[in-house]
Amino acid sequence: MHFIGKEINQYLSQQEYVDTAVVPLLPLDLSATGMKLSAGASEYLHSLTALLEKQFKGRILLLPPISYAKIANRQRIADEITEELKQTAFKHVFYLTTDSEWRTIESLKNVLWLPAIPIEDMDQSFKKSVMEDQLRQVLPLFTKEWSHHS
Amino acid sequence: MSNNRVSRRQFLGYTLTGVGGFMAAGMLMPMVRFAVDPILQQHEGGDFVLTDQAVADITEEPVRVDFTFEQTDAWYVSEATSSAWVYKEGDKLIALSPVCKHLGCTVNWAGDPEHPTQFFCPCHAGRYEKNGQNIAGTPPLGPLDEYDVREQDGFVAIGVVKENTLVV
Repeated sequence: MHFIGKEINQYLSQQEYVDTAVVPLLPLDLSATGMKLSAGASEYLHSLTALLEKQFKGRILLLPPISYAKIANRQRIADEITEELKQTAFKHVFYLTTDSEWRTIESLKNVLWLPAIPIEDMDQSFKKSVMEDQLRQVLPLFTKEWSHHS
Repeated sequence: MSNNRVSRRQFLGYTLTGVGGFMAAGMLMPMVRFAVDPILQQHEGGDFVLTDQAVADITEEPVRVDFTFEQTDAWYVSEATSSAWVYKEGDKLIALSPVCKHLGCTVNWAGDPEHPTQFFCPCHAGRYEKNGQNIAGTPPLGPLDEYDVREQDGFVAIGVVKENTLVV
């Protein structure tokens, strides 16, 4: 489900089924040289999470991306979001990111790091097949996590 | 002069009636047009989206067919992609919606190795028969929706979604 008013109503009434939160972590680089790459990564992450949401609509809540400056203290962000998520009933939390620095943060479980693929120049159908390939790599990680703890 | 002379009074009478008639018509016509508009409205029932799936390649085994259409969300128009599970029952084409009736996940044909002839929803292990009938004991409470479907120049064309008509 998306983090929008209408679907949150549905979430609140179906919390026992929607037991997984997905948090995209999105680094912002607004320097003249890094902006294009950063925007491309954002587009990639957005497409991927949208596809994921479509596949698992009834079990995951896709939160809006947490965007941070590239110098941001990842550990602090991790602590804050973990604290916030403690108030919810989610049994599983997945973080999706294109930012490799998250791999050094030990306190976050289930960080899926994916190198961004520049999809902006692909035509519609090629982009779709590329993104579906990407999705196919991510899906088993979810089903594995779910089958372990349920 | 001729014997049916038009007097000044008559001439004015005709002219005013004529002009007044045009003015009244000018006001009434749009009103009438508005009043009957709902009847003249074209029904977009024939709104089929052509896919790139050849009908000849469709077998009794459901395959996923994707199609794109324009979707308007307030001011934001985007291209949305949907898919359908299409198979042949005899010579008849059948297209089922992949949206699970439980909480809206996407179901897959033969997604569960233990049930290779059923649709499977990976979220909460919902299952459906090939005709979309939900299997009792799994979370979904109704059968999968169906699409209007037809053959167009040898390719599959997908129409509007409707309630499942195959399940008795």
